[in-house]
Formats: sequence, structure tokens, C-alpha cells
Amino acid sequence: MTGSPSPATTVASAAAPHSDAPPVRVRELTRRFGDFVAVDAVSFSVDRGEIFGFLGPNGAGKTTTIKMLTGLLSPSAGEGWVAGLDIRHERPAIRQRIGYMSQKFSLYPDLTVGENIELFAGLYGVAGDALDIRRAWILEMAELGDDVRRLTGALPLGFKQRLALGTAVIHEPPILFLDEPTSGVDPVARRRFWDLIDGFAAAGRTIFVSTHYMEEAEYCHRLALMNRGRLIALDTPRGLREAEGLRAAGTPGTHPSSGLPSLEDVFVALVQREGGARSG
Amino acid sequence: MSGPRSGSTVGRVRALVRKEMRQLFRDPKTKRIIFVSPIIQLLLFGYAVNTDVRQVPTQVVDHDRTAVSRSLVEAMTASDYFRVVGTSDDPGTIGEALDRGDAVVGLRIPPGFAADVAGGRTGRVQILVDGSNSNTATVAQGYAQRIVNRFAQRTAEDRRLLPTGGIELRARAWFNPSLESRVYNVPAVCGVIVLLMSLLLTAMGVVREREMGTLDQLLVSPLAPRELMLGKTLPVAAIALVQLGIVIAVALLWFGIPLRGSVLLLLAASALFILAGLSVGLLISTVSRTQQEAFLTMFLFILPAIILSGFLYPIETMPEIFQTLTLANPLRHYLEVVRGVFLKGAGSTDLLVQLGVLGSMAVGGLLTASWRFRRMLG
Amino acid sequence: MIHPTRLRAMARKEWIQLRRDPRSMVLAFALPLLLLVFFGYAITWDVENIEIALVDHDRTPTTRQLVVALEASRLFRVTHRPDSEQAADRLLTRGDVKGALVIPAGFTADLLGQRTAPLQLLVDGSDANTATIALNYAEAIVGRFGRNVVLRGRTLRLPVEPEVRIWYNPTLASRNMIVPGLIAVIMSIIAAMLTALTIAREWERGTMEQLASTPVSRLEVVLGKLLPYLLIGLFDVAVTVAAGMVLFDTPLNGSVIELAVLTLLFLTGALGLGIFISAAVKSQVLATQIAMVATYLPAVLLSGFLFDIASMPPFLQGVTYLIPARYFVTVTRGIFLKGVGLEVLWPQALFMAVFAVVGLGLATRVFRKELSA
Repeated sequence: MTGSPSPATTVASAAAPHSDAPPVRVRELTRRFGDFVAVDAVSFSVDRGEIFGFLGPNGAGKTTTIKMLTGLLSPSAGEGWVAGLDIRHERPAIRQRIGYMSQKFSLYPDLTVGENIELFAGLYGVAGDALDIRRAWILEMAELGDDVRRLTGALPLGFKQRLALGTAVIHEPPILFLDEPTSGVDPVARRRFWDLIDGFAAAGRTIFVSTHYMEEAEYCHRLALMNRGRLIALDTPRGLREAEGLRAAGTPGTHPSSGLPSLEDVFVALVQREGGARSG
Repeated sequence: MSGPRSGSTVGRVRALVRKEMRQLFRDPKTKRIIFVSPIIQLLLFGYAVNTDVRQVPTQVVDHDRTAVSRSLVEAMTASDYFRVVGTSDDPGTIGEALDRGDAVVGLRIPPGFAADVAGGRTGRVQILVDGSNSNTATVAQGYAQRIVNRFAQRTAEDRRLLPTGGIELRARAWFNPSLESRVYNVPAVCGVIVLLMSLLLTAMGVVREREMGTLDQLLVSPLAPRELMLGKTLPVAAIALVQLGIVIAVALLWFGIPLRGSVLLLLAASALFILAGLSVGLLISTVSRTQQEAFLTMFLFILPAIILSGFLYPIETMPEIFQTLTLANPLRHYLEVVRGVFLKGAGSTDLLVQLGVLGSMAVGGLLTASWRFRRMLG
Repeated sequence: MIHPTRLRAMARKEWIQLRRDPRSMVLAFALPLLLLVFFGYAITWDVENIEIALVDHDRTPTTRQLVVALEASRLFRVTHRPDSEQAADRLLTRGDVKGALVIPAGFTADLLGQRTAPLQLLVDGSDANTATIALNYAEAIVGRFGRNVVLRGRTLRLPVEPEVRIWYNPTLASRNMIVPGLIAVIMSIIAAMLTALTIAREWERGTMEQLASTPVSRLEVVLGKLLPYLLIGLFDVAVTVAAGMVLFDTPLNGSVIELAVLTLLFLTGALGLGIFISAAVKSQVLATQIAMVATYLPAVLLSGFLFDIASMPPFLQGVTYLIPARYFVTVTRGIFLKGVGLEVLWPQALFMAVFAVVGLGLATRVFRKELSA
């Protein structure tokens, strides 16, 4: 971060309404589509200020879980709380307290940067001086200067992504859901993006992020590994690697060199033990 | 700054409406679709949808070639109804012309026609009609008979074959004295165009957001499903009303269709009708995942909706079951209002039933759509 | 060069995709039947049972006979008997009746006294077509009735009598006009929608480039796309013809083989045009919409299917010469109702052949251009 105040510091002191409750907690959360069980009795809890990574092959159930937490899908069974609020019955109250950014770039390409910002400000009830402050903050954060009249569709992908992040937090939500936010972005832009995420977490926000980039997983405080709709491991990155290292040590010839296995090795080993990724 | 901010419904809907308007008016293609295509459609439909029978191509074979036979041919062609495309002595030319479609009516005057008339016998005129277009054939046949009968009547009176007197039928066509089908069809075309556009804009508008993934972004915000529906439909309703204004202006100024009733009544009925149409568009958007599917579903809806509306085809002559089906069609009721107001100058008391039905369809449609919408989003 | 193996592979792929897409299947098979039922059953212009109001100020046996004569024609049916013209006016404005017959007091006395007896018939002219037919019939019926009363039982041979013969469709049933024309409309929809759907989809998914990288030639791609739809089209025509004959008793007076050959010709052109559109715009949504506007609407409005071309303004009549469906409607009506064949329909056949060549040419050309660019 440079000498100017970090963008994240302006969003400090974002407090959850029930600050004693964990920002995200699910118990036996399940979602079926017909006979297909997309998410199978998953339970976990996320702490405040944590970057919680959601890792797994395609079709593992990551997006479905995030959609249930953000109110885009109803659970088939189990329970969940976001900001201490029930995801089945208190969706409207939850919506004001979360930000969401999906793998699909989801701002309007045919609106200008300024118009997109105004739209989401209007939806979240950010108006007047607050809007001016937030607009300036988003433009700075996304490194867009003050050119609000550019068509969003014409921006390079990295800029779009940061703009999307900016609008997702325009109402300064205490909890942020990011569903594969950096897919398709080049490594430099991805790195910058994660700097921002780090800043948010440092300011007390809770970040719930899914990814399939292994190097991104390293940024997370804790990782949940999903495969075939089930949660197969949950630990810090280091914890996961150590556990796998211990296991491998017992199996002669697997990791001949000293040191811990990489996260990628851990991931592959865990998924293979589970019986392979689900196709589709 | 702790605790969530809370905006108002009005604020959220306003933000969404502004966004919709910006999107609609940014794209020049969309702008053209909204404002130019209704005019083109009206001109095309207004001229093409025409059941008037005039200038029917007629092949004449006159074997008699007398003053009497010529005056009969004259009587036929003096009207606007028949146009001679060929004259010949060869009776086969009628068959050929009808087979090729060059003529629709053949008029054959046999030899000795004038002599029969003069000699107190009956001169028989053959009128051959191509029945393959049953509508044209029915009307042309009626005109031809009428002209020949009048000719006979006059001849009989001239020759004092008939006592004087008889019935004089003073026929008057109300609401459309010159009996032009355009006066009947153009106002209806206005209704069809507005239905098409409001369906297209709503169904496609919602489905496009879903395809692009922006719908999810809206749904995780505090925007309630009802507010989303409102924000999506208000701009379309406004645009549809503007379009209606445009096509009505073209109908009045270009086609010279008279508007005898109250504009206010027309607007009120149109608003109800547009709401009913919008809710169908919303319903289509809840069953379609892609714009392609939405378009096809719309097509499958609009086709029977037009056929069963009385737009082109009279409802009274349909089989019972289809007549019953038309009652569920908002277009049917709206067309009765439009035609009533335009042609008959009908007032709200005359159209109470139609207005009531349209109103309940609008309310019922919107409730169903909002229920389906919530289910789709939930 | 056309290689049979590759062509077969292309056509089979197309068929499999089609079979797995429910909406395309609906379009291909359910839509023709739906159209046939709706157009065939619901559309009739056969005018009968026009409801009228009767205001009889005369009330004599003669006026009662006049009403009987009118009702006997099955054209009119007296449903209301209001006391005054004003009441009849209201019925007309509300649309409760489509006409009103006003018999003035003294009508019978005038008629029997060999004076002119005026009779007033008001018809709701808003539906000009029905009104025209009604007025023509009413005049004939009333005229005959008046003559018979005046002649008091004597018979009179009128000096001139029309002898009307209706060719090709003696009962003047609307169905006989609609079923053959419908074939042209159905073919237009099949051609436009299906090609727009399937070919634009290949562009959208990028599979077209994939195809282009194989040894398949442009013509093979186009023909491979064409063949399944030609078969579907022919199948639909067969279904429509059979349903028309069974359900609606539409006669097929001409040759089935000529109908099939000319249908293939039309379909080839229409499919070529559809392929051209979808290859040119490369978006399913846009292609469908353009195809609808470019083929379906003209086929319904400007082909003479429902609306007589001769009654259109000259400019629009000129436009119809550019609409392939115009020629095809002439062909189907000719074969079905008139029982004529190529000896009469060769100009239409010639035009459709030109259209087919142009359609195929455009399609192959746009492929070459897009894929080698």
C-alpha cells in the first residue's frame, strides 16, 4: 500500500448487527436438484474478519452453497445463518448486510461506470454525500480516475472486476461473498485484487470466497474443500499441507523430498481419495 | 456508520427505472425498434390487411356483340368492383385466365343474348368465379349478381314488363359508410402492435438479465421481487403508451381513420390492456432460460392470441369452442374497445363489460406474474 | 466436391441435435398441426346468422312474410325487436346486433298500391367485409320479395338472369382456401426458425470454426444442414395435406408428385435464405427475429394467403413480386383446388427455382467468406 490512505481503511468499523454471532454459520446444509444432490449436509462456521476460502473442482457445489447463503437459492434441508440472520426467513434483512460478486461479470456493459455506480447506490439506499464519498472511493480503488462516462463494457477485464467489487461493497456490508471473482483475469490484476481483499479483511470484514486457483487459496485464512457436494476438509492452508505431509510420510515413496506438499498436491490427493471429481 | 442503511421502495424502484431507460435509449438499434418499427408495421399491416374487394380482374367473352351486351359489360365495369383484363371470342380464354390466376371472374354473354332479351325470353349471362379465395369470390359473386339484377330490373321497367312500385331498400352502413375494411383493421393493428412490443420488451428484458448474470446481482440487493417487477415493467408500460400514441397518430393522420370516441377512455383501456400484456411477458420470462426460448414461447402465445381475437377473422363464425376460448384472450376485449371507440364513438357505459374484463385480467395477470416471479427467484 | 460420408455425418449430427432440443421439435412437428387447427377451424369468413334488430312500425302479414323470407336465407336472424329507431341505434352502438331493419308505417299499403315502398336497413359497417356481403344478399332477397308481392302471384320471366358458377371451390368454404395456403406459411416458418436456431447456434458456440477446420467443404456444410430440414419440411407438408384432406375435406385435385417437387424447390430457397441470415448475423436471437420479419410475416401478409394482392396499393403489389411465398401460394392453390400442373404453373416454378439457386448461392457464399476470413 502506498502513502495515501488505503481504500480499505475508509470502510473500517463495519460491524455486524449481532456481533457475537459468527458472520456465516451453516448446519447440515443441503440442496437437491431432482435426484442430484448438489450440496450434501455441509456444516461450517466462519469467523469475523476471516478470509474463508471455498475450494473444489467444477461442480463440487461451491456456487450452489454461495447462492443459498446469498438468498438466490432455497436450501432443501439444513439451516444457515448469515450475520446471525436465518437464510430461510430473513433474506431481506440479510441482503442489506452482504455484498456479492459472481464469476460472471455482472455489471451492465451498456451503462457507463457512473451509471452502474448510481444504480447500485440506489438499490442499496446510498444517497447524497454518502454516494459522493463512495463513488470517489470506488473510482480510486478501481483505478478508473474520474472518468465516469466510459461505457463499462469497454473497460479491460481487470478494471471491470475491481469496479464490480466496488459496487458490491458500495453499502459497506460486513460480509462479502465472492464466487470465483478472478476467473479470466491476468496474474497481475489478480494480485491487485487480492490486496484489496486483504485490506477489507484487515478492516474487520468477513470474506467468503470460492476459487479454483491454488495460489489464491494461499491467501485465505482457512480453506474448505468441497468435492461432490460434500465438505471433505476444513483447515488453514498450512494445516491442510501438514496433515497431508504426515499422511504421505506414512506412505513410502509418495513424497521422497523433505518439506510439505503443495496445496495443489493436497487438493488432488484429497479429491482422488474421495473417488474423483464428479463430471458435469 | 454502523448498522445497515435502508433505502426506500421508491428509491430502489426509481434507481431501476432510471437504469432501464438508460439502457433502452442508449442503443440506437433498440431505439429504432421502439419508435420506428411500430410505424413501419402499421404501414405494412394497414395496407396489406385489407379485405376490400375492388377491381376484380375479369375476363370477358362476348359472343353477342350487340348494344345490349355491351351495355351489360359497361354496367359491370362502370362500378369500381370489376376491371376487364381481357376480351375475347374464344370461350376457352376464361378457363385459361382462371387457371393461371390472371382473372378471378369470367363473364360470358352467349350468342343471341340481345335477341332473347328483345323477344321476351330470358337472356342468360354466365358468371364464372374462381372460388379459391373464398372471401373474394363471395363478395365478387354478390356484386356481379347485384349488377346484373339491377340491369334486369331496369330493362324490365323500360319494357314495361313490371308494374311500377316495389321495395326500395335504403341501406346504410353505420360507422363506416364507405365500407372500407381499413377503417376496421387499422385501429386493431394498433392494438396488436402494442401487445407485441410490450410482450417483447418485458420477456426479453428479464431473460437477458438472467442470461447475463446481472439478475443475480440485483437479487442479492435489498430489491424485493415485487420492486424488481415494478422497475422492469413501469418503463415498458410507459414506452408502450408512447408507442400507442405514435401509431394512433399515424392512423389518424396518414390513414385518415376517424376517432369518434373519447381519447381518455381509449387511454384507460390501453393502460389496462398493456398491464395484462406485460404480465404475460413476465410469465413468459419465468419459463424461459434464454432469450431464444422466450422469443419462441412468445411466438407460440401470440399466434393463437391474434387468430382468436377477432382481429382478422370474425368471432361469430368460429366454432363454439373457439368462441369460448376467445373470452380468455385480452386482445379480443381490447379490440372491441378500440373499434368501439374509434368507429362507433362508444362510451364507457357501452364498454363496461370489456373494461371490467380487461381490468380483472390486468390485476389477475400481475398477481400471477408476481407469484411466479417470487417462486422463480426464491 | 460432395463426399457422401462427410455429408451423411453432417446431416446425422444435425438430426441428433434437433431431436434433443425440445423447442425445435415443437416447432418442427407440433406447430404445423397447431397452425392447421387454428387457421383451419377458427377462420371462416362464411357469413351467416347476422343478428339484427327489427323495428316494425307497420305490423302486417306482409311485413311478417318479409321477415320470414329474410330469416329463411339463414343470413339474418332477428334477435331483438325494439320499439323505436333510437333503441335500435343503441343496440348497434353497443354491438348487441350487427344490423337493424326498419319497416315504416304504411309500408304494405305503399307496396300494394304500386308505389315505392321504402325500407331501411342499417348495418354495422365497421367490419366492412361482413357488411358488404350482407348488403348484397339483403338487396337480392328484398328485391325478389317485392317483385313477388307486386306481381300478386303472376310469374315474370326477367329479361336477364345471371347464372353464377363457382369454380374450384363450389361451396366457397374458407377452409379450402386456407389449407393450401397454409402449407406455404408452415414451410416459411420451418425454414426460417429452424435454420436460424441451429446455424446461428453453431456460430455462437464456436463449433462452426471447428467444422471449418475439418475437410468438410462449404457446400457439404450447407447441404448437411439443409437435408434434415428438407425432410422435416416434406414430412410436415405430408401431415398438413393428409390432415387437410381428412379433417377439412380439402380436395387435392392435382398431382402429389408435382406438389412435392415444387415444395422441395421452395423449401430449398427458403432454407438457403435462413442459413444466409443466420450465418450473416451469427446470433440466435437476432437471426430468429430477422427470419421472422423477412419470411414469416410476408408469407402471411403479402403472399395472397389471406389477403388479395389485387386489392393492395400498387406499391405493395410491386413488393409482393419479391416474396417467394407469393408464388408458392399460387402453386399450392393451383395444385389443390384448380388441379393444374406445371403446364400452367411453370412461371411460378421458374421463379422458385431462381430463388432456390440464389438462396443456396448466398448461403454457400456467406460461409466461404466468413470461414476463410
